[in-house]
Amino acid sequence: MEDNMMATVFLPGRLFAQDIPAAFKEIQARREEGPVTVDFGGVEEFDSSALALLSYLHGCVADIHVTNVGEKLDRSFQAFLGGTPPAACDVAELDLPTRFLHSFSNRFLAQMRSVSKFVALLGDEIYYTISFFRKRRGVYPGEIWNQLFFMGYKSFPITCLLVFLIGVTIALTSAAQLKLYGGDIYLADLVGYGMLRELVPLMVGIILAGKVGAAVAAELSTMTVLEEVDALKTMGVVPEKFLMVPRLVAVTLAVPLLVALADFVGIGGGILVARFSLGIVPSAFIREMQTAVGLGDFFIGLEKSLVFGWAVIIGSGYKGLTVGRSAGEVGRATTESVVLSVSLIILIDCIFAIILYY
Amino acid sequence: MDIISVRDLTVGYGPLPVLTKLDFAIPAAKITAVIGTSGCGKSTLLKTLAGLIPPLEGEVFFGPEKVDYLSEASLAALYRGIGVLYQDGALLNNLSLFENVALPVRMRHPDMPEAVLREIVHDRLSQVELIEGAAKYPAELSGGMRKRAALARALVLDPAVVLCDEPSGGLDPITSGHLDALILKVKETFRTTFVVVTHELRSIERVADRVLVLNGGGLHLSGGLAEVRDSDDEFIRAFFLRKVGHDDA
Repeated sequence: MEDNMMATVFLPGRLFAQDIPAAFKEIQARREEGPVTVDFGGVEEFDSSALALLSYLHGCVADIHVTNVGEKLDRSFQAFLGGTPPAACDVAELDLPTRFLHSFSNRFLAQMRSVSKFVALLGDEIYYTISFFRKRRGVYPGEIWNQLFFMGYKSFPITCLLVFLIGVTIALTSAAQLKLYGGDIYLADLVGYGMLRELVPLMVGIILAGKVGAAVAAELSTMTVLEEVDALKTMGVVPEKFLMVPRLVAVTLAVPLLVALADFVGIGGGILVARFSLGIVPSAFIREMQTAVGLGDFFIGLEKSLVFGWAVIIGSGYKGLTVGRSAGEVGRATTESVVLSVSLIILIDCIFAIILYY
Repeated sequence: MDIISVRDLTVGYGPLPVLTKLDFAIPAAKITAVIGTSGCGKSTLLKTLAGLIPPLEGEVFFGPEKVDYLSEASLAALYRGIGVLYQDGALLNNLSLFENVALPVRMRHPDMPEAVLREIVHDRLSQVELIEGAAKYPAELSGGMRKRAALARALVLDPAVVLCDEPSGGLDPITSGHLDALILKVKETFRTTFVVVTHELRSIERVADRVLVLNGGGLHLSGGLAEVRDSDDEFIRAFFLRKVGHDDA
């Protein structure tokens, strides 16, 4: 009796991948009204999608009754999928809040594991850098100079260009406002203070993140994927020391040079704007700037840049060394390293601001 | 005499075991082939023996010393005794062939005079017939040359044991034969122990003294080459006759 009340869906004679969506839609529509019988009796030609549909209907759905499975279809089903449990059951049967909770807790735990690994790497690097300066071992000879060349010499043109443009932009924007109040000369104070303390360190950090950090993450993640990092370990070499210490030492040496040059060029941009926009001669600009900023401001900027540089190297190294084993992870690690480095720079800058001004 | 002993070893990634309750020993100065179908855990076992993956359970002894996977000193002692030949060579791409082979010496003996170091590297590159390519970079070498260079690097510190992951993988039969001949020559000359993970039947027949067969998540069979090859076991017969459906070798 109950069978008689069931709606029946008759599947077509040709049941291929392109026919499945319509058939499935019809089954689901009928199912909303009550139990459904799916009649496979007419199916004569089919592909593996039809077998998958049969597997799903057989194994997962209690309110669907499968009937009239022909001999040919049944033989194919037993041969290909007979011993395989349907794949989609567990996922389909989990309700939305449970799935959300499951996914959220997994992500949270994964994030906590990442944070603990990052902190562990930070501690390791401090230890390895100190031990390198004590024993001068565990690092490839000449690697510090290679890295210094890449981070310093090769980053110098782009850093100078960008900082010069920032200097010009800041000076032009400020000059218009200062002119309104007759405070033209204070442009020197603003440019000097802003460049030395904030803009140059930030720009140097961001250039390091985009250029050096991405390169470090790409190189280390490629080495990890190609088992070069494993090879180093089994040679008795500590990869976290061999690969990271030269980069940390190089960034420590390169950043002061970059900052000094960038300060010079950035303020130069301001002087240029002051001369041609406000008619302030360079000597007056420099004299006024000296009343507002001193060597202490230069060193504050330098300290910030150094910390940014270390954050970029540690962040990128962490992303590079904790990558998985597939080539696709190299691109992901590189992108994530830039995001992580820039986030760390902004976080550290905020902490500096609280320490210095609060 | 056994140089590596394994007791009740369970290996795998994270909480998932790949191989369970392994008990076997690797005899010194012999070549032991580890065989099995693809995905059976051969490389995972090799990585555990190389100290790269800590075991989930059980113990590994290197000589008389138990390997403590949480101790840097214990792992350093293990690394002093082993060399590893990776599947794709794993040469450092930013270093020349010469520098790749010299790297383990530079790291282990930083005070080694440069003249002596050059001799050591020169000897090793001669053994693997790569002396002309010493100045080349890994990207400029063929697959076979990279494998030979990686073997030279694995041997440069005279390790007691060399672990080889698919040394013949991806090589043509002639190049593969040369590499096998090289492994045999090193074994005879220096009495080096080799553990060779492979599923290349020709390679097994050429080099193996002993064979460990992995199947079904454990050690299926072990013994001398002839003993294993001639076994009546159904899986072994299928493997050596290449009738196992999922062997993609």
